[in-house]
Amino acid sequence: MTEIIIKLKNLNWLFIFLISFLSFVGLVMIYSATFGEESKIFISHIYKVTIGFILMILVSLIDVEFWKKNAYLFYFIGLVLLLWVTFYGYLGKGARRWINFYGLNFQPSEIMKIFLIISLAKFFDEKKFQESRDYFFLILPILIVTIPFLLVLIQPDLGTAMLILFVSVVIFFVSGINWKFFAFSGLLSIIVTPYLWGGLKDYQKQRILTLFNPENDPLGSGYHIIQSQIAIGSGGTFGKGWTKGTQSHLDFLPEKHTDFIFSMLGEEFGFLGTLSVIGLICLITYITYHITNSFIHNNFNRIVGYGIITNFFFASLINMSMVIGILPIVGLPLPLVSYGGSSMLTYFIGFGIILSLDRGSNYL
Amino acid sequence: MSREVNFEKKIKRRALILGLSKTFFTFLVFGKLFYLQILQKSKYGKLSDTNRIKLKIVYPERGTIFDLYDKPIASNRIDYQLSIFKDKKNLVYDYVKKLRGHINFSEMDLESIKSNLNEQDLSDFITIKRNLSWNELEFFEFMKNKFPFLIITKEKVRNYEEDLIFSHVLGYVGFNKDVTKIKLSNLKVGISGIEKKLDSKLLGKDGWIKFETDSKGAVKKELNKKYAIPGANIKTNLISEIQSKASDEMRGIRGAVVMINCQNGGVNCLYSSPSFNNNEFSDGISLKKWNLLLDDEFNPLLNRCIAGLYSPGSTYKLVTALHAIENQKFNKNKKFLCSGHISLGNRKFHCWKKEGHGYVNLHEAIEKSCDCYFYNLAKAMEIDDLAKFSSLFSYGKTTGIDIPNEFKGIMPNREWKIKNRSEKWQKGETLNTVIGQGFMLSTPLQITLMTARIATGKKITPTIISNKKEFENLNISNENLEFIKSSMFSVVNNSTGTAFNSKLRGNYKMAGKTGTSQVRRISLEEREDGVIKNEELNYKLRDHSIFTCFAPFDKPKYSLSVIAEHMGSGSKVAAPIAKRIMELALNKY
Repeated sequence: MTEIIIKLKNLNWLFIFLISFLSFVGLVMIYSATFGEESKIFISHIYKVTIGFILMILVSLIDVEFWKKNAYLFYFIGLVLLLWVTFYGYLGKGARRWINFYGLNFQPSEIMKIFLIISLAKFFDEKKFQESRDYFFLILPILIVTIPFLLVLIQPDLGTAMLILFVSVVIFFVSGINWKFFAFSGLLSIIVTPYLWGGLKDYQKQRILTLFNPENDPLGSGYHIIQSQIAIGSGGTFGKGWTKGTQSHLDFLPEKHTDFIFSMLGEEFGFLGTLSVIGLICLITYITYHITNSFIHNNFNRIVGYGIITNFFFASLINMSMVIGILPIVGLPLPLVSYGGSSMLTYFIGFGIILSLDRGSNYL
Repeated sequence: MSREVNFEKKIKRRALILGLSKTFFTFLVFGKLFYLQILQKSKYGKLSDTNRIKLKIVYPERGTIFDLYDKPIASNRIDYQLSIFKDKKNLVYDYVKKLRGHINFSEMDLESIKSNLNEQDLSDFITIKRNLSWNELEFFEFMKNKFPFLIITKEKVRNYEEDLIFSHVLGYVGFNKDVTKIKLSNLKVGISGIEKKLDSKLLGKDGWIKFETDSKGAVKKELNKKYAIPGANIKTNLISEIQSKASDEMRGIRGAVVMINCQNGGVNCLYSSPSFNNNEFSDGISLKKWNLLLDDEFNPLLNRCIAGLYSPGSTYKLVTALHAIENQKFNKNKKFLCSGHISLGNRKFHCWKKEGHGYVNLHEAIEKSCDCYFYNLAKAMEIDDLAKFSSLFSYGKTTGIDIPNEFKGIMPNREWKIKNRSEKWQKGETLNTVIGQGFMLSTPLQITLMTARIATGKKITPTIISNKKEFENLNISNENLEFIKSSMFSVVNNSTGTAFNSKLRGNYKMAGKTGTSQVRRISLEEREDGVIKNEELNYKLRDHSIFTCFAPFDKPKYSLSVIAEHMGSGSKVAAPIAKRIMELALNKY
């Protein structure tokens, strides 16, 4: 018991405060998004944040060794869930992404990202750089990435799939794989891309094409991007005020409590609001770097840290880029802010692992 | 060992590259946000307002037009209209297709949709259907969730209490697509009659409402508004009952009825027959109907009161006689023999009465409308003098009535002849002119005005809306005026007078003059064979029946003229109509 109290005392409470603050921003925005409508979503979000927070603290008490030991087991469980969802998953919005678990909808692709990160970390930790020159040893990690990537892609969930691929590439990169490998993969992907493009659903193609010229089709798929930019731009420096956003509250902004919540934030809190959230995300990322960099000769911890924070950071920035028109709209929530259970719980678990890394680090 | 160190260095380097790329990405997002929220704030602010704020122009309510006794004759009715958001105008035809069957879109509606789609006015709404019926309204209320971006608005549009009776004098309203005021393309303006003349007064000033709407086209609230200022009401001198009496009397007859108040020049009646329905015009008339009216041989669109040109016929003898006694010191007791015709050079001039009137003096000549007597007067008359004197009674000039498109007719003189016929004036033409035939043309209003001026000796000017009391004198001796008036009295009240049939019942006495406006030239052969009776002639060749009068005789109040086209002599048709109208006016007002 005292052991737990000591562990709790040793937690990085500044970090926890920052995470909580970001969740609080989410609560504030979701309150506004559902303001004047049914409060069911807001209340459900409060529950999820609370559960997520508790989960994070619980995970932070688990030592990192536990994850290292059971990495492949978790990966296997994740894979089974993904396969299951592929065939029996609950269909929603044209995609098979959810498992209905006692009335709760659960997206295995989200938690799979964590399992994938720790599995890759374990793999690269065990096979040290000596073998790194032998490309055949890379077949296994490539499979570890490719299988869930393809499973998620065919759901179809382009956003998550791309994120999985991206985070994996980053992990390969920080594991010290030779440059030549990336050059070769890059070349390969250029060759493979046309085939992948052919495999995309029409609406996905449309979304990507729209990015390049949203004004071309203002009432079709470009509508969302334009309305989102109008929302953000019209917020100006200080915003229109909490719950006063016209774009969001008059329904010009689509999906305002999920993917487009950042647009609503921009509209209601202006440049200062968006800047603060970016600042918060950068601060969380920076602290994680600090923690991770303190591990010397511990590849597992390092890769887990880089992997989890890269997942969080890029998910955030890709979401923002989407809604401000830098990247195509692929359907990714803003971590910890958007409404949505599985993704938020996954990020809380991820931060729990980082907190547990922090307990064991030299960083104070 | 050194490998180990190198590896650590490599990892550190790669972590740094990762961190730098994240920083780069962050700055990219930051830059775009700065661009959107700081640099382009006003652009996006405007776009967001354009999204939600819809401006609706509120058209002003046109002023009401009243008759002399404050009865409204042109007011407004509520019109429910269906409009679409301008930025969703690409949905129009789809909606029209879906709504058809429940809402009746006529060809005219479709045409106006087409032109409205191209309007560039300020309003964020485009009207796609006017005059919604209750059934259509009910249907739409029930179905409106299926039709976002459509709204029903309540407008006030012009409505005339009577379809036909005031059409010429009031005129009608309509769109003026040529105007440069593009911001008000749906504003109806006066196109003719009083509506046109007093448009600026009746129009009022437009206002607007700013609505906040959501993305589904539902109006959430009114943000602010500027009230429209209704146009000013206008009181006219028209008397509804007289006007509708005139309309009743003229049923089936082409012509005009004009009545002027002799005391103030107020136009109490201005009815032209056949009429048209000005409500139809104001609601927007179909091209087909418009063409039908244009092609109508009886020309219902012509306001005969002010733009119908007729030979004044014998009614003009009043001016000729007055000219003779006033300016030529002619002895009114002088008698001439009327044998049915007189000769001038080698031409014969006929009296309307073939067998002649025998010896008559001027009084009798007016009473019996003897043409020969006036031919004799004409022999000593210079046409230019007569024309100049006639202008005192506004012949050959516009009367200045306050509605547009008045014609001035023709008062011929030497100069006119040379200019228009390139010929010198012939003496025989003076003979035709003194009895109101020949080149001379006048409007019913001019004839009525002549009577009013003779009755009062004042330069009465006709007016539909103003109420002037003082008029200059004509500077004609009272004695001579009284002589003419007494002759007119005899026309109606002496058994030998041409309009004795139309003597008023009751206490009031009326004085008047009949006239028969010849439409054709009677040939020499026909004279010899006996003039063909009017009834036997082709309708279009029949004479116009004219009667002009004033009453009461001792204190003139109303001056009235009736012209009935192709109805034969003045005594037969025009005089009895005038009598009945005058009786109504005297007894009731």
